[in-house]
Amino acid sequence: MELTKNITLGVYLPGETSIHRLDPRTKIIAAAILITLLLFIKSYQPYGLFMLFTIAVIIASGIPISYALCGLKPMLPVLVLMWFFQLFLYSAPEAEVIVSWWIFSATDAGLHMGNLITLRVFFLFTIITILTLTTSIVSLTDGLESLLKPLRMIGIPSQELVMTMIIALRFVLILAEELDKIIKAQMARGVAFDRGNFIQKTRNLFPVFLPLFINAFKRAEELIVAMEARSYTGGKGRTKMKTLHMGRVDRSAGVVIMLFTGLIVYIILSVNPQI
Amino acid sequence: MPIEVTGLCHSYKKGTPFENKVLHEINLHIADGEFVGLIGPTQSGKTTLAQHFNALFIPQKGIVVVNGCNTSEKNADLISLRQQVGYVFQNPDYQLFASTVGEDISFGPKTQKLAAGEIENRVRAAMEQVGLDYDTFHRRDIFALSGGQKRRVAIAGVLACHPQILILDDITAGLDPRGREEILGVVRKLHREEKITIIFISNSMDEVAVLAERIILIDQGRISAVGSTREVFKQSDKLRTIGLELPEIMNIANKLRACGYHLPSALLDPEEALNAISSALEEGRVGN
Repeated sequence: MELTKNITLGVYLPGETSIHRLDPRTKIIAAAILITLLLFIKSYQPYGLFMLFTIAVIIASGIPISYALCGLKPMLPVLVLMWFFQLFLYSAPEAEVIVSWWIFSATDAGLHMGNLITLRVFFLFTIITILTLTTSIVSLTDGLESLLKPLRMIGIPSQELVMTMIIALRFVLILAEELDKIIKAQMARGVAFDRGNFIQKTRNLFPVFLPLFINAFKRAEELIVAMEARSYTGGKGRTKMKTLHMGRVDRSAGVVIMLFTGLIVYIILSVNPQI
Repeated sequence: MPIEVTGLCHSYKKGTPFENKVLHEINLHIADGEFVGLIGPTQSGKTTLAQHFNALFIPQKGIVVVNGCNTSEKNADLISLRQQVGYVFQNPDYQLFASTVGEDISFGPKTQKLAAGEIENRVRAAMEQVGLDYDTFHRRDIFALSGGQKRRVAIAGVLACHPQILILDDITAGLDPRGREEILGVVRKLHREEKITIIFISNSMDEVAVLAERIILIDQGRISAVGSTREVFKQSDKLRTIGLELPEIMNIANKLRACGYHLPSALLDPEEALNAISSALEEGRVGN
């Protein structure tokens, strides 16, 4: 049993490709643009193009495609559930009923909506995975900090917010590792996590989540002490050893993203002229 | 209840860019009633190997048979196997979750669906085995216990399942000398009096030297040496190249020998060493 195997979120896969070498700010902005684009796509053709683009980026970054997508495995039940919800609960006025069962009925509009939303979450997850797989945690922090700096002027403690976010991201993997150990410790005492009815299965979660939470709080406390021991006082007066530079790769990436955005917008408009 | 391992291999994160092969073609046999020391540097694969013995890991390649139960078989009863093979983890915080000591120890027997009276008997017996007084401790808050006490509760929680094999994964790490002595006393008693097979994983060569009858030495996922404790510790050069220290007693004996005193090789027991050293000192240096 190995829980951490399929976790790709927050994992960094070191490499020397141009995607790895991009300035973290470029990657973050590009990811933000792509995610925004996702919100406007309401038909399948742009998603086809999106898929090609995503695959191209994954190949360019040297990440094995199977690995980039294996993080989705644990999310699959959620995606399927979401698809069913949309299928049965969403309806438009002139929708045509495809299947009907008891009080539920699935319409073609619901099917379309389910597909769109599932695709959207799929791409959202993939984009963020590519970002974290190709960007080390330090440069991700630096990039986000630098991008959010203007917020300081209106009194938002951006540096602290970024630090909190990054720590949360790091803890995904740490907590998964701990969960793995705790589950094993309880399995060794005879808990059968895959047996029993719903109530028994829920009850089995107590011996897992209690130690997990207690250990998480302990860890958080230790982390605070460790940070304070190294004189962390928040963002004020902090300087950087490495300053960020945008270079030729970043300019070319900018051009690629702009071309891609233009193409997607063109397809959206030509498919759905009323938007 | 013997353990038979043939051609066992294991990789972490198999099929990802982080794939890490930790066990290579392991073959070993552990007989009933043995006290085996499983030693090796950190990351050598000790824990991964031991977790195959109670089916927390199912072999990716190779076969593990414990008491006639092949863990790779589809209809193998792994739940009952895990009750027969107890596993105490290094960190008791991963295991303890109930609010009181008694409740936590009774968790294992409860999952076996035993009668209430039997559960109480088992909790009482297990607490006695690890040297915790039932009446004083069974209502104690777990999180108010000391590190040594927590570890004893963790061991009791496993013993209450009545295992025939007990795997102890570095259970003395981070304890003060007194807590360590107490825990080791418990382990020794379990082996001598209850005749439980014990697989003792440790980074402390001193502990292993005194306790274990046989040693399995692992290095980089391969078995590097197997034999009686004395035989394995005689290969001091091998241990040193792997990055393990000799037991302190052997270090002292080696130094004395280098000074010209006549001492038998591979002294392990403190008492035996004391006698040998004092008689060697009386004899004086060789050649004097």
